[in-house]
Amino acid sequence: MATIALDEVRKSFGHHKVLHGVSIDIEDGEFVILVGPSGCGKSTLLRMIAGLEEITGGDIRIGERVVNDLAPKDRDIAMVFQNYALYPHMTVAENMAFSLKLAGASKAEKQKAVARAAEILDLTPLLDRLPKELSGGQRQRVAMGRAIVRDPKVFLFDEPLSNLDAKLRVQMRGEIKSLHQRLKTTMVYVTHDQIEAMTMADRIVVMNGGRVEQIGRPLDLYEKPANLFVAGFIGSPSMNLIAGEIASGDGVPLFRSADGLSLPLPARVAAAPGRAVVYGVRPEHVEPAAPAGPSDAVGEIALVEPTGAETQVLMTLGGAQLLGAFRDWAIHRPGERLALRIQRERVHLFDKESGQRIA
Amino acid sequence: MTDLAATAPAADPSYAESRRRPSFVAALYIYGSLFVVAAIVLVPLLTTALGGFKTLGDLRVNPFGLPSEWQWSNYTDILFSVRYWQMLMNSFIIAGLTTLLTLAVAAMAAFSLAHVRFFGAGFLMNYFLLGLMFPIATAILPLFIRIRDLGLLDSYLGVVLPQVAFGLGMAILLFRNFFRNVPKELFDAALVDGSGYIRFFWYITLPLSRPILATVAIVAFVNSWNNYIMPLIMLNSQAKYPWPLGIMVYQGEYSTDWQLVLAFITLTILPTIIVFFAAQKHIVAGLTAGAVKG
Repeated sequence: MATIALDEVRKSFGHHKVLHGVSIDIEDGEFVILVGPSGCGKSTLLRMIAGLEEITGGDIRIGERVVNDLAPKDRDIAMVFQNYALYPHMTVAENMAFSLKLAGASKAEKQKAVARAAEILDLTPLLDRLPKELSGGQRQRVAMGRAIVRDPKVFLFDEPLSNLDAKLRVQMRGEIKSLHQRLKTTMVYVTHDQIEAMTMADRIVVMNGGRVEQIGRPLDLYEKPANLFVAGFIGSPSMNLIAGEIASGDGVPLFRSADGLSLPLPARVAAAPGRAVVYGVRPEHVEPAAPAGPSDAVGEIALVEPTGAETQVLMTLGGAQLLGAFRDWAIHRPGERLALRIQRERVHLFDKESGQRIA
Repeated sequence: MTDLAATAPAADPSYAESRRRPSFVAALYIYGSLFVVAAIVLVPLLTTALGGFKTLGDLRVNPFGLPSEWQWSNYTDILFSVRYWQMLMNSFIIAGLTTLLTLAVAAMAAFSLAHVRFFGAGFLMNYFLLGLMFPIATAILPLFIRIRDLGLLDSYLGVVLPQVAFGLGMAILLFRNFFRNVPKELFDAALVDGSGYIRFFWYITLPLSRPILATVAIVAFVNSWNNYIMPLIMLNSQAKYPWPLGIMVYQGEYSTDWQLVLAFITLTILPTIIVFFAAQKHIVAGLTAGAVKG
């Protein structure tokens, strides 16, 4: 096991800057997930930790060693790739033992290490098969087995579940998490799927445009997003964001959109009339108001999407649209008018210009 | 839920029908063309092989038909002669060495051109490809002088080295295109597993490249097997002659006995036909590898 420290790590491809000075400290045994949209630099950063991409600037430390100029094999890491990257002409056992073969391990050592990894991942009956004879989930387990066999200080995962179907993805998610709990090895995992990030990580690093937007525990990111990007990226369905300004209503601060829609603000928000802000509220913090109170907003239902566990209702209020995730089991229909109550203490407020969180 | 399979073209009965059965006119055209091409290839081969079973008189009267009397002795006499086996052995040594050297040099050069970024890689590739544009005959005089200067005249290597050099362009092109299609993730995985370029080439690339290795091997082998001009220029001793020169000598000795010459030719081209049929699956796979994304 080892800590990982990234200090002002930069990467450029020619004149094109991909990473603009990324600093992250990862604790020993921690499961950290790098998440962000396509092209944000998360996979490049992971490949730089692995030694598969050169570093333009900054330092990467694994344990106490600066590994900037070390070859991948000398970094004591193992990596699981998106497309599994299993050697097609080798059996499962040969795939798993390949790194040990290159390291000059004896036959007994190889057999012992492969047997241990196969037992952990339930691969023992498949050891003599070729990759083409395995299902997607089994291939993914072999890829993890290949990593385990090396007994590395750090595991790196590059979108390992992207090629699996939805059901298998959920199952493998659980398997990777329990693998981490069992091995207690430092893991860095890249995904663009924020559900994967939320369910698996000890800490999440949200990246955008080659920069770190926020680092924190999953629920911290969910409850206190540092800026508009994180607010919109974390959570599914995503947070409702409406631009407007802080207004004053009977001495109590209110939010007012350009279309005149008034929404309540948390008590912690200081009065600052005229300040341009973005109002954020998660769909699950919007609920039908029955009976409707005088401060409740009334809108028209535009779209209804039942998901089973909840019903997602898209409403039009003035010129703005607001999504609610209701669990009231009532039947809503498009075109109906509905009063909404917003859990005001769960409202997020961002500065419109900087995008940073105000409250 | 939408059933995607139901909307796929293959599930459409008329589509499947049209793929299975071409119209009568189309079938006539396809089979007619195939018949003509097959005839162009097979008629000379069969005529040669059958001619070897005839008497000289029979050959003159009936050059294309079946022998009126099968003369097995034409073939058995050749098969029991030392000269035939010596020429065959010479051909095998020259073609075998040419094949091995072409595979080794071309595979390594193509691997570097496919995976290693270095200054002048594009220029070097084009330089190799230039070789494709010149037939051996155009360079025969300078080649002769260089081989003479190296002291390799009248040796197997004097034939093998120029053949390898002229075979490299096509071999490198085929190898490079194949190697470029080996997924990059495999290289990354091998790097993490502790491999470098050489181990990746040996343990991963070569085992995955059997189809293209077979293709290049067969092309190199057949080209060398059938090469006439290079042994003619470089070899003096009849004891080192491969079969194309052997036929020339044999023909000189038996110029009136065409049936024996035809039997000799049939026996000398037989090994390449056997090699080709044994490996034709690999040849097709190798030549089309990388043509479509898998």
